[in-house]
Amino acid sequence: MTTPDSEAPDNFGEQFLDDYFAECDEHIAAVRRHLLALDQQVGEGRIDSALLDELFRSFHTIKGISGMVGFREEEQLAHRIEDTLRAVRQGDVSLNVDRIDGLIESVALLDRRLAARRSTAPLPVLPDEDAAAIQPPDAAAGTAGSGPLLTFSIEFTPTPALAERGININSLRARMQEIGEILKSTPTVKGQGEISFQFQVRTHVDLMARPEWNSEGVQTKAEAHVPDIHRPAPKVASSNVVRVDLVRLDELIRIVGEMVTSRARMEDQVKQARKNLPSPEWRAMFESAQTMARQLRDLRDGVMRVRMVQIGEIFDRMQFVVRDMARESGKRVIVNVIGQETEIDKFLIERLMDPLLHLVRNAVSHGLERPDERRSAGKPPEGRLTLRATTIGEKVSIEIADDGRGIDVERVAERARATGLLAPGVPLDDARLLELICYPGFSTRVEADRESGRGVGMDVVKSTVEALTGTLSFSTQTDQGSRFCIEVPLTLAMADALIVTVCGQTYAVPQLTVREVFEVEPSAVRALERNEMIAHRGSALPLFRLSEFFKLTEPHHSRDRRFHVFVTGTGNNALGIAVDRIVGHQEIVVRTIGDSLVQVPGIAGATDLGDEKVVLILDVPALRRSALQERMMRTGN
Amino acid sequence: MLRPLAKTAHVLVVDDSPTMRRMIVTALRGLGSVKFSEAGSGLEALELMTLTPIDLMILDLNMPEMHGIEVLQFVRAHRTYSRLPVVVLTTRGDETSRSEAAASGATDYMTKPFQARELFELVRNLLPPSKES
Repeated sequence: MTTPDSEAPDNFGEQFLDDYFAECDEHIAAVRRHLLALDQQVGEGRIDSALLDELFRSFHTIKGISGMVGFREEEQLAHRIEDTLRAVRQGDVSLNVDRIDGLIESVALLDRRLAARRSTAPLPVLPDEDAAAIQPPDAAAGTAGSGPLLTFSIEFTPTPALAERGININSLRARMQEIGEILKSTPTVKGQGEISFQFQVRTHVDLMARPEWNSEGVQTKAEAHVPDIHRPAPKVASSNVVRVDLVRLDELIRIVGEMVTSRARMEDQVKQARKNLPSPEWRAMFESAQTMARQLRDLRDGVMRVRMVQIGEIFDRMQFVVRDMARESGKRVIVNVIGQETEIDKFLIERLMDPLLHLVRNAVSHGLERPDERRSAGKPPEGRLTLRATTIGEKVSIEIADDGRGIDVERVAERARATGLLAPGVPLDDARLLELICYPGFSTRVEADRESGRGVGMDVVKSTVEALTGTLSFSTQTDQGSRFCIEVPLTLAMADALIVTVCGQTYAVPQLTVREVFEVEPSAVRALERNEMIAHRGSALPLFRLSEFFKLTEPHHSRDRRFHVFVTGTGNNALGIAVDRIVGHQEIVVRTIGDSLVQVPGIAGATDLGDEKVVLILDVPALRRSALQERMMRTGN
Repeated sequence: MLRPLAKTAHVLVVDDSPTMRRMIVTALRGLGSVKFSEAGSGLEALELMTLTPIDLMILDLNMPEMHGIEVLQFVRAHRTYSRLPVVVLTTRGDETSRSEAAASGATDYMTKPFQARELFELVRNLLPPSKES
């Protein structure tokens, strides 16, 4: 036998920091969810002891693993929280709003400490895939049918043969959780030293009618109705969830992307081979290529799905912030959450975190009124904040709406006219209003208050969303409230793109940023105050020449040729970007250019189109900004 | 009836924290020809040991669904495993469970945070001697 590695005992834990932080994240996310539920239960005067157990166990685990990695303060903190919870569990102290506030504060402190630890940790700061978010937080509710709730007892006897076929405790439990709720699970030792497991499951599905629930090793019986109890909170992490480092996943996506481009190349070659091959042979080859294309699409979708996390955890975090702010400001807020199960790329949701929190803080501190104000306005004293996520095709929409006082349009207009941002007599519609409040430094507040002054401003919200090739929209109504809506693509790792050429250079344009494309006669271009415009759909569309922006020249480049324009933005924000030709449409794998030395304004990343030549991806939002600035400078002269 | 000694010892690590399981397995990596299995819950552990014979169990106490003491009681009630070495490994502050663990038949007891070296020594002494050594 060999001796163990000769690590000094005190730094043994250091090699597990990545796992440690990931697991703490999972527990803190679950703790937030449970504390919010507990907070509500205290209000309703009933406390679910299972919830307390879950909380207790989370802190117990955090304490245990903190001790192992040598974080004594975190261990202590978790230990103190654990003590409080133990006292509550044993009935020594009662749980009230203040105590929950105290718990929430301790959790926030723990969270901040961990964040600080992580930022100075010598290991790379790459949070692992969040197991808690992958699991449906409310599987039972998700499949809740309309039928009556039935209770079944299920007995399972594991055997090696069943295990080989993947039928084991974990797979069975997952199946039960899919259709309903597990009320009880107990093992029993049988005569021959064999262990079997009894489960009690409550579900809307009639298991007696499903043969798979009465098959080898699994025996199901119907039971009399069991009185309703609170559904236990979802488990933090089950052992059949695999954590994947985003870096590894990106590598996989890169490979899939390369396959996508190779396949595009192969498709061309197959098409060209048609004239040299006898028809039946060519047909067979063509069909194989088609099949492979389909399989590749499935593979790509499968890989992309792994990156997806549910938005629910972010919504929980927001509810936490709202609760804190409401308590400090004496406001009353009811949060409606819709679409927690909506999935979004983990990378995207991390970038959107601060903007979303900013919008929520704004809504509570500026949008929603105090209870007395609301009463005198004829509204219920509790303000309503709606967080809604939905998937629309290839996009996710996240909406934050309040039923507060709405934005004081007159005041914004006054200020905008005073600072010259709004011409006199120009009406202020929602789109212009949004532009103004997102203008750097523009705020109707003389001084930013604590809530909304933290971290980012509206300008950062807008630029972050646009950098993710998303859109921000807005509407407001006096005394009815305001509504912000962020739309972003499901993922940034792959995109559909238009392939365009300018002066012999090829660029890719993310298709989500393009509203329409058309061809223009050079004679249709009009100059207006040194800006070029074209008439389009009954209004003047400003023209932005990519060749000028990138200072491209080509001997044969002539202004007398017809050219293509793609339109980005809507209404007053529409901009026509002029290129030589739009040569096609292709699925691309987006690679961001990380090195700031090679970052070029107007370029978002790079891709290749299957011919192994690198093609740059246009940063359309940045181009729009630069066009706007140029326009303002020229008209200002 | 005596179970024939397995050529490769099989150690089952039962803990609901995946990080803790990794730490335990890492601490014991130098044990030679030992196969490790991990279980994230008591039920999973009981299932695993009915399917494959194990030679030693490292058991956490505070776990969801089924407490470690219950797991231990089932292990002791099981014909094949009544004499299985079980090391109870539990978090500091749970010292009251020590007597309970001993009463339920724990072979040994260690507190987390543990020293990798100490756990290693403890487990090495409890494992049946491997045929190769």
